[in-house]
Amino acid sequence: MILSVSQLTKNFGGLRAVNKVDLAIAPATIHSIIGPNGAGKTTLFNLITGSIKPVDGSVRFRDRDITGWSPQRLAKLGVARTFQRTSIYARLDVLENVALAIRSREGMTTSVWQPASAERRVRDEATDILAKVGLRGREAVLAGNLAHGYQRSLDIAIGLALNPALILMDEPLAGMSRGDRETVASLITMLRDTLGLTVVVVEHDVGMVMRLSDRITVMQHGTVIADAPPAEIRGNEAVRNAYLHGNFAQ
Amino acid sequence: MREQLTADAGVIAGQPPRRGKAILVIAAVAAVGAVFPFLLAGEPFLLMLASYALTAAIVALSLDLLTGNTGLLSFGHAAWYGFGAYAAGLLSKTVTSDIVLLVLMTMLATAVIATLIGAVLVRQIGKTFAILTLAFSQIIFAIVFVFSGLTGGEDGLQGIPVPTFFGLQVFKPEVWFWIFYGVLVISLAFALHVRRSPLGKAWLAIRDNAERASFIGMNVNRLKLIAYSSSATLAAVAGALFVLFNGAASPDLLSWFESGKILMYVVLGGVGTLVGPILGAIAFTVAEHYVSSFTDAWLIYFGGLFVLMVIVAPGGIFGALSGIWTRGAASREAAQ
Ligand SMILES: Nc1ncnc2c1ncn2[C@@H]1O[C@H](COP(=O)(O)OP(=O)(O)OP(=O)(O)O)[C@@H](O)[C@H]1O
Ligand SMILES: [Mg+2]
Repeated sequence: MILSVSQLTKNFGGLRAVNKVDLAIAPATIHSIIGPNGAGKTTLFNLITGSIKPVDGSVRFRDRDITGWSPQRLAKLGVARTFQRTSIYARLDVLENVALAIRSREGMTTSVWQPASAERRVRDEATDILAKVGLRGREAVLAGNLAHGYQRSLDIAIGLALNPALILMDEPLAGMSRGDRETVASLITMLRDTLGLTVVVVEHDVGMVMRLSDRITVMQHGTVIADAPPAEIRGNEAVRNAYLHGNFAQ
Repeated sequence: MREQLTADAGVIAGQPPRRGKAILVIAAVAAVGAVFPFLLAGEPFLLMLASYALTAAIVALSLDLLTGNTGLLSFGHAAWYGFGAYAAGLLSKTVTSDIVLLVLMTMLATAVIATLIGAVLVRQIGKTFAILTLAFSQIIFAIVFVFSGLTGGEDGLQGIPVPTFFGLQVFKPEVWFWIFYGVLVISLAFALHVRRSPLGKAWLAIRDNAERASFIGMNVNRLKLIAYSSSATLAAVAGALFVLFNGAASPDLLSWFESGKILMYVVLGGVGTLVGPILGAIAFTVAEHYVSSFTDAWLIYFGGLFVLMVIVAPGGIFGALSGIWTRGAASREAAQ
């Protein structure tokens, strides 16, 4: 397992947002986490990636205990994430958004003298990554001026620029047009198949989740109510009940 | 401030500067500085005023290194200006009269102390940071009075000897002008260079979205600390040069009033533009001199002008000038 979460717990006041969650993610797989609004999916991501600290439980990445590690340390270790509320550098251009992550990965962030050739390599790599997420030709646009769907893609591009072994994506398809959803979905598959990346996805588009995932974890009220391959999840009674409106197993 | 960062981003996206143009700019800047004192040949007082204005410009630039690059607001920047002045003044009375050594020693002392203090400050965010900078500057202010035997207390630090450069006394007004001008130009050139470097871009990133910056592995506090220490060190250089030029230091140099003025230079000139705060400081210092000789209520007029500027030209002098320039260029294009 590349990531194992055990008995992870977080309270907000009296609310158990994440309650004794166990999770095992196999390397080079696409593992989705689904569940109704408020189930605790984003909180789980926040606990794993160091935005907030758990009250109990542990997180292991490749046999290393990373519980409570800062986002900064995790980024260096190869754990990247994207955000449900898009998190980009709105006032910088698209290319620079990605270049910053590449420079950070390469340990160049505090350098003041940088050879032009190094900067050219950074920009070339950033251009390649942007092309992969469907942002070719938009390198010079101010990130804040991008259409919403493109901003979501840029958020993913920033994460990918870290060359992570594991990337956690919080609702990567939200607010995207059908065409862009397909682009990002095939990107996610490509990341697993050609780069051997492990992708953990939180997503409400259940049809897409069924198609993409190797395994699915279903959360409700902070706990895991099912954890199985897509075919089994489809027939799971508890999961059906969690999704009251029944639009789930189409 | 929002619009300004957009302009910065344009710099990042832009082409590398053309060498020929750069040489032209350097030649022009050097020529202006070389000739300036001779234009004021019969006016020793005006030349002195010019030197004071340049000192203010260096301090303003130093604050913009912090505020413009990282968005951190300092209400107590005069503490470092005053610290530099007292440090250099005391060193010149006890250790050496060599101006280069004095400035280097002051820089070293400031860098060390500012890094220690900054390490605590940069952990605070937003308003807390700003308030702590004010509190810290008041502590430094108080220290001057506690050790009044050493610092001269309320009377200030007096009797600072004329500094030397390789044994030659530095006292001619035009030489001082060139020193201030040279330090300002070199600092500005370096600041503009850093702005285009990975460090400068990382600063823009933490100013825009610090959370995202930490998730791509940036050490946000360390980046802020680098900005804080370099900013303090440049302010101290200005203070050191000022005290050696002036021959005395008064505790007013590190008062909250002085800090407020420095902040005004930056806002007046245009936060984050580096050049703007320099223009703001020069305009403010020159205007202060003339207006305060007419009326004691000059501060009221300045306050009013300041409020007006923030409302009508939130981008400061630099923002207004570049707006006119852009519109001019657009209408020239339309005319063709
Ligand atoms: N910082 C916080 N302070 C207090 N309560 C919070 C906080 N963050 C989340 N919560 C609460 O914790 C619960 C889980 O929230 P979370 O955002 O993890 O859900 P989610 O599964 O991601 O939902 P969605 O699908 O709507 O994104 C919710 O009830 C939410 O209101
Ligand atoms: Mg969520």
